[in-house]
Amino acid sequence: MAGSPLVLTQVTKRFGAFTAVTGLSLDVPEGKIIGFLGPNGAGKSTSLRMSLGVIPPDEGEVRLFGERPNILSLRRVGFLPEERGLYKKMTARETIAYFARLKGMSAGEAKARANELMDATGLEAFKASRISKLSKGMAQKVQILATLAHRPDFLILDEPFSGLDPVNQQVLEDLIRAEHARGATILFSTHVMEHAERLCDRIVMMARGRKVFDGTLPEAFASLEKGASIEVETGFDLGTALAAKGFAAQRAADRGHGDAWRIALPKGVGPQDALRAAIEAGAPITGFAPDEARLRDVFVSLVGEAEAAALDAPAGAQEGVPA
Amino acid sequence: MRNIYLIFRRDYLGYVKAWGFWLSLAAVPALMLIGSTFALFAIQSSPVRYYTVVEPGHVYADAIDAQFAVDEIAEKAQEMAEQIQMGAGDKAAGALRERKFVAVPPPARDLDGLRPYLLGEATVSGPLGPKPLFAAFILSEDGTTLEYWSDDVNINTLRYEARDAMRQLARTEALAAAGLSADFIETADDAAVKVPERRIRSVADQEQAGNEVTLADRAPVFVAGAMAYFLWLMVFSIIQYLLMGTIEERSNKIFDTLLTSVRMPELIAGKLLAVFAVTSTMMAVWGLFALSGSAFLSTLVPGAGDMITPFMTAAASPQIMIPGLVSFVMGYIMYGLIFMALGSLCDTIQEAQTLLSPMMILLMLPMFAIFIAFQDPGSPVVDIATWVPLFTPFLLILRMPHDPPLWEVIVQMGLMLATMLAVLWFSIKVYRAGAVNGAGIGDLGRMLKGMLGRRAG
Repeated sequence: MAGSPLVLTQVTKRFGAFTAVTGLSLDVPEGKIIGFLGPNGAGKSTSLRMSLGVIPPDEGEVRLFGERPNILSLRRVGFLPEERGLYKKMTARETIAYFARLKGMSAGEAKARANELMDATGLEAFKASRISKLSKGMAQKVQILATLAHRPDFLILDEPFSGLDPVNQQVLEDLIRAEHARGATILFSTHVMEHAERLCDRIVMMARGRKVFDGTLPEAFASLEKGASIEVETGFDLGTALAAKGFAAQRAADRGHGDAWRIALPKGVGPQDALRAAIEAGAPITGFAPDEARLRDVFVSLVGEAEAAALDAPAGAQEGVPA
Repeated sequence: MRNIYLIFRRDYLGYVKAWGFWLSLAAVPALMLIGSTFALFAIQSSPVRYYTVVEPGHVYADAIDAQFAVDEIAEKAQEMAEQIQMGAGDKAAGALRERKFVAVPPPARDLDGLRPYLLGEATVSGPLGPKPLFAAFILSEDGTTLEYWSDDVNINTLRYEARDAMRQLARTEALAAAGLSADFIETADDAAVKVPERRIRSVADQEQAGNEVTLADRAPVFVAGAMAYFLWLMVFSIIQYLLMGTIEERSNKIFDTLLTSVRMPELIAGKLLAVFAVTSTMMAVWGLFALSGSAFLSTLVPGAGDMITPFMTAAASPQIMIPGLVSFVMGYIMYGLIFMALGSLCDTIQEAQTLLSPMMILLMLPMFAIFIAFQDPGSPVVDIATWVPLFTPFLLILRMPHDPPLWEVIVQMGLMLATMLAVLWFSIKVYRAGAVNGAGIGDLGRMLKGMLGRRAG
């Protein structure tokens, strides 16, 4: 496999007067796990559907394995749509095998693969169960297995974690890692940043139909202003002491037994450097806590708190596609 | 092709595994069986009823009895003529049907005396033992009225027989008064110039096939009619499958998954084929049942099997079969696509039900056209209607036995093909909008306007 499985160039999609995606360019590198992040309504699902040719873009170009999305290039893709759906009267095994066959597997191979996947994910007791008899989470697991049954080179998962309990979210994370280890490229959308932090090599952030960030996790965190908190005994002026060392410190709170000071860290300087400077300044330190950088903070820094609040809405709450 | 097969197979098995399919499959044969058994039972179990005629002599009673005998002989003669036409010849002999009304001597001479017998409170003796009277005829004193008295006013057979008998009696008496014999009219009828039916053919054909009108001459019209009706029935049957099937997939949100695996035309083709196969399976099973029933009946009715040959010959004739098949396939695809596209715009069964009425009206129009074409294939209405693509599949089949001009057939087939392709193009657009983008019925007008506007622009 060579080249980028997916390249979007200045892609725009409108639904009537509403512009769902504006000038999105994206290059998904081979063999990586990419997180497609953003609140509901950011244009993630629309972008993914355009990537697969389900809906055509109004402007721009989509290249899937170097071609416009077509039935042959799509055979190398496993797609889990945001709106889950299966045939309710089919059994779990039939479902997985059926979608694997639609992707080109032979009947025998598809059935064997369905068995293998169900055994591996603890669904062996539900092989002959109809989808209508399965719980929502269980049916979702079946759909995820159906997505990757044909061993695709490229997995596109739209909000794969939504609707899963914590145990099954972990199972899915393991599956994604296993597929990645197999060599698959994975692009998944989510509005829950923690999954991306744990899984992704690279992230793409979307807000209001526009890309607001595209880079690796360290690059994302590097864009944040970092800091640390140091607690010292009451009465010690840490601000003056650290100013001499080139750090800006502000008294943040009186903790009763001491004062908490907030230290702003210049670029390229780590929290340990601030701690070392405080010790050298003879500060009576009672506590130390470096800031823990989160992707959510990165998103807030990029789009503002109001926009980021939409991250907390349930999946699919805003992302409706008008006809 | 593989994807079409996979979609077809899944949908077909999905339908066939449902209980409703088996119930529908069993319903028609069960209905036919129950209906025919019931009818047979009704005929056989119809009781023999007693009646009496109160009159000074025995003239009217004899006239009614004679009328029954005449009708029975006429009925039997008709039956024998039909069987001889089928080739059963002298094997057609059989017994006369048992008479269901039997005359008995009056147990009383007036209405009050007869009342308990007519109301079932008393019985009279007769050839089948004691029974109450079903009816009594009482001649009025002036001899101008033969009153019919019965407790059951819904069975009129006996009264009608008596009425015919009285007419016949009056005619015979009038002829006798004029000095003519009773069979004078019959003799006069026999002397009338006959008008036999002949079929004009080319000289060569005439030498080979003769000029008699046989079942083989009429069979093509019936075969074409059956094909047109069968197409109509198929189209009628698929509505619910296409509507419900599409609604299920739309509500299951499955289209995105499917459309990353198969092309839209493959998806539609697979679905149409599956529904076609489901309805064909039903029709085939019903047909087999009917054929088995016919085969069984033909063992009971000598010569009935010979009736089938002209119909089989007509069905196999290229003149009927080729336009018939082309019309059938194109008509099925055209209507199937329309219903499928409409179904893709519905979210719920309730919403689909609101579509059923206009769909039924759409389907009733060809049915009216079929009816007119069957009655009068040369009607200008049919000629014009055949050029309307929605009617063409049905009417072209029906017109074929009447040798329409070849250019008309070819142009109409071309028109049908063009319409089918236009419907295909439009349906795919609508289906995509409904299935992929969640468009609803309310968006149909806007979509149509958009498509036509875009093309015009």
